[in-house]
Amino acid sequence: MLQLVVGQLLNGVIVGTLYAIIALGVTLTFGITGIVNFALGAFMMLGAYITWSLTDAAGIAYPLAVPLAVLCVAALGLVVDQLLFRFTRNNLINGLIVSIGLISVIVAVVLMIWTTTPQNMHYVLPGIFRVGGVIVPKMKAVVFVVLLCVILFTYAALTRTWAGRAAYAYAQNPEAAALMGVHTRVLQAGVAAYSAGLAGLGGALYASLYSITPEIGSGYILKGVEGAILAGIGTVMGSFAGGIIIGVAEGIGSIFFPSAYNDAYGLVFLVLILLFKPAGLFAPQR
Amino acid sequence: MKAWLLWIPLLVVPAVVHNNVVLTILIFTFILGILAVSFNLIFGFTGQLSLFHAAAFGLSAYATYLSMAHWAISFWLGMLVGVAFVTLVSIVIGAICFRFKLRELYFAIVTLAFSELARLVILNWTTFTNGSLGVNFTLTPTLWIPGRGVVAVEGTTMWYYLSLAAIVLAVFAYSRIVHSWMGRCFASIRLNDELADTLGINVFRYKLTAFVAANAGAAVAGSLYAFYISYIDPHYFSIDQSLAIIAMALLGGRDYVAAPIVGALVLTALPHVIEVNAEARLLVYGLILILTILLMPHGIAGMVARGRRVS
Repeated sequence: MLQLVVGQLLNGVIVGTLYAIIALGVTLTFGITGIVNFALGAFMMLGAYITWSLTDAAGIAYPLAVPLAVLCVAALGLVVDQLLFRFTRNNLINGLIVSIGLISVIVAVVLMIWTTTPQNMHYVLPGIFRVGGVIVPKMKAVVFVVLLCVILFTYAALTRTWAGRAAYAYAQNPEAAALMGVHTRVLQAGVAAYSAGLAGLGGALYASLYSITPEIGSGYILKGVEGAILAGIGTVMGSFAGGIIIGVAEGIGSIFFPSAYNDAYGLVFLVLILLFKPAGLFAPQR
Repeated sequence: MKAWLLWIPLLVVPAVVHNNVVLTILIFTFILGILAVSFNLIFGFTGQLSLFHAAAFGLSAYATYLSMAHWAISFWLGMLVGVAFVTLVSIVIGAICFRFKLRELYFAIVTLAFSELARLVILNWTTFTNGSLGVNFTLTPTLWIPGRGVVAVEGTTMWYYLSLAAIVLAVFAYSRIVHSWMGRCFASIRLNDELADTLGINVFRYKLTAFVAANAGAAVAGSLYAFYISYIDPHYFSIDQSLAIIAMALLGGRDYVAAPIVGALVLTALPHVIEVNAEARLLVYGLILILTILLMPHGIAGMVARGRRVS
């Protein structure tokens, strides 16, 4: 029993970092552009498909395919930001609806190119670690480490570099930041591209673990938004913790309840948090 | 010209048009129109993006069918069960959301969460709902018609008049609400709910009223829709359904009670006018949402109204 619990706990943490990378993108775009980009889930799905095409169809090595996919998705993120989201800045409802529209456009295009058949990538890194009685596939460990590094890097970049501090300043007070020489339009475009890139990375890594379908995006963006709100939208390490909390809740929950209700735990958590700590777990309460 | 006169030609359509495809499109337009018009009460008039609307639609479809199948009651009683059930659920969810003052994004996310929960329950409670396979059924609504007694509602013409009557009633009811003091409270909440609160408007009560009244309309649409196509499945609750509802309301125009019907007509007729597959339809829905928001945020009705003012 203990073995099962520990196994699910580890599994939850690993899936949780995938949620966290999306949650981080949600938090960053929300902080800087004032909109919640639901299309990040679709970007993630696209990242997974591009990675799969690059490795299994074009024969490019996986470690090279991942950055390529991330770049493609980030570029797309930049393009849609300049074409669409630039006109919905700080209008939450309009931004939400545009991003919902964008999801169906991306899903439709993906369906036309890759059809509904689930795609499975060949094993990138077979083999397992055995810790006590608990089995962890090597690839899952790698994915966890890579995502953790990226999240820590983002945190460091935001707190230690000029651009990062400019982003923080902008999130707190746009006008004062602009007066201090923060180039608003460049910052917003950069953050939009970076968030899309994060989602693309999540997808590229996801591709090595599970089968890819056009529906994965909607599940992950829901968890990502839940994670971001759970922690208090706008905090970087909070969104990391939020993602992990939801991942672990699902892992542990699936031991005691039918796994069909797996998607419900995050939702229940979210509702409870919003009701009792409306600003989120880690943000200062109003 | 009085706008309600536009309804009169619709009365004679089945006498003139014998094309079943056209009538079927109109029936779907009327039923989905109820859905879009009711959604617009909470979205367009009260300014709250509720993502529970598709769930209200689906819950009522299931409640109506299940109550009829298990208790052997008539369709109209079944619909009453559906509406009552949705009203009850909406009061609970609305009370939670509005008591805790969830706004904008938070309201949208929490209502989405509840509608996902509803979908999961319907999907997994297989003994009762038959899970993802859904239920095909043969039950039909009945009507008492003077001179002919109680007859089953069958065939395109009867459904046409039934759905027309339903949407006329819905538009009448919602425009009475919107043009009353209640509607002005909704508008004040949409424009600035903190100011509305300061002015002594009970924001909680009116948000809840709008939410429940909107979902009750969705419930009526759900019962009618389920019995028109004689089939229920968890797709009633899907994100695509919510998407279609938002698209209809936006495309038609969120400033007028009846405007979303125009959106419903366009989106229902579109797949028939140009033959497209499911993927292309998804693409078109998405593009319509994006382009409407960016290019004509007040929808077709808004464009027409502006054109009239200019000329």
